[in-house]
Amino acid sequence: MNASAPFDQLASIPERIQTEVQRAIQRSIKGVEYFTTSGPTLGSTPKDVLSVRGTMSLYHYRPQADEIYRVPILIVMATTNRGYILDMVPGQSFIEFLLKRGYDVYMLDWAAPKPEEKGLRMEDYVLDFIPYCVRRVQEDSGEHDVTVIGYCFGGVLSLLYASIFHDGPMKNLICFTTPIDFREMTLFQNLSDRRYFDVDHLVDSIGNVPPEIIFSSFEMLRPASRAVSQVQLWENIWNDDYVKSYRMFDRWATDTLPLAGEYFRAITKDLMWDNKLYNGTMSVGGHRCDLAEIRVPILHAVAEHDHIVPYEAARHLIPKVGSTDKEEVILKGGHVSLVAGANAVRRLWPKLDSWLGGRST
Amino acid sequence: MADKGNDPLALWQTMLGEMEKGFNAFASKAVSSPEFSKAMNQAGGASAGAQKQMSEMMEKYLGGLNMPTRAQMVDMAVRLQSIEAQLAEIKSLLMQPGAAAGAQSAGLPPSPRPPRTRRPPGEQT
Repeated sequence: MNASAPFDQLASIPERIQTEVQRAIQRSIKGVEYFTTSGPTLGSTPKDVLSVRGTMSLYHYRPQADEIYRVPILIVMATTNRGYILDMVPGQSFIEFLLKRGYDVYMLDWAAPKPEEKGLRMEDYVLDFIPYCVRRVQEDSGEHDVTVIGYCFGGVLSLLYASIFHDGPMKNLICFTTPIDFREMTLFQNLSDRRYFDVDHLVDSIGNVPPEIIFSSFEMLRPASRAVSQVQLWENIWNDDYVKSYRMFDRWATDTLPLAGEYFRAITKDLMWDNKLYNGTMSVGGHRCDLAEIRVPILHAVAEHDHIVPYEAARHLIPKVGSTDKEEVILKGGHVSLVAGANAVRRLWPKLDSWLGGRST
Repeated sequence: MADKGNDPLALWQTMLGEMEKGFNAFASKAVSSPEFSKAMNQAGGASAGAQKQMSEMMEKYLGGLNMPTRAQMVDMAVRLQSIEAQLAEIKSLLMQPGAAAGAQSAGLPPSPRPPRTRRPPGEQT
């Protein structure tokens, strides 16, 4: 033990008090600034809109390298959230990272379905929107092959597409935090318990499922975290980087999308109740969705501390696909920090680049 | 630097973190119970029914005041969005390589199309 340690502590007390007083003053100034300014601009990487069809938008990001890989990437975003989680701000944008590493990037993003789109079914997403976007990417890039990246439920849609169109143009498939065994989505299982949850009554009464229901379901997974994060924001409000990061993620997390009624009905009945994707009995529009039919190279990235898609719900993907070139990578982080923020910059993004580069020529 | 064990701020942050974990764990157990599911869904079902009735009443009321209903406003928004979508499609067609001349005459910069010859760093010569 260092005998001088207590004296060092005593010597540091005035410095510590000074720092805390300065931070208290900064908190007051920055606290006012927080409410009088808007957050950082998100999703600003230059892009062109290739197509808009109701809830579906297809973007092409302008290349940022002098030479790009032959195979373009189509990112399929989760239907519950906005795609700008993958394009936060310069330096913390997955899209920008891919562009600078020489990839040609397209994104299938979703807007809130309108009341008249309440009839959109799983078939519309899997047999129409995704194949349509793949065709548009082929036309726009002039390439036959396409790599598909699906995030969360975008991964589920990509898997359904890949299992049906297994002879199609998909060259590689990358899934981020994609659930397969819906029995393991414990809170969602309980909320949609078929003994008490009348999905037909809900959808028939209100049409599209409002974002408040989706958002509060996510919040219920960690009910204390919002209050704690606000206390932490106040403690760190003197720190511009912390505030910027908080505002980015908070805005995205609260910007939840409604879900089309019929689509929600199918998710509840086929996946939450009957766990058909895991059981191998899933079909979309009469087409059987057998994961064993997927034979393209596949990478599945999962997060160690994912509270939305627990590892138990995601771990069956790699064993179930028919590919021989397949890999699961478990990285530190949560459902969102896996793909965005400082954690992703250090861990997932370089891993993805090293996996995909050689498979994109 | 003060020892973390004696630092009141570090202690406060640790306590906050532990409280968050504890409360989240407790809540996770609570929401896993069938009673929670039953209560939530009863409340949710009643609220959905009330929302539908309220929406029908408001539609009649606004009609009586000769004001547009939400559905009519949404219809107008849909038409505007459809026009925007068509404009986006036209812009995209103009920006396709074969339509470069048209795009330039419309004042739109053509998308840069670098060669698709990139190799991974380890394979480059």
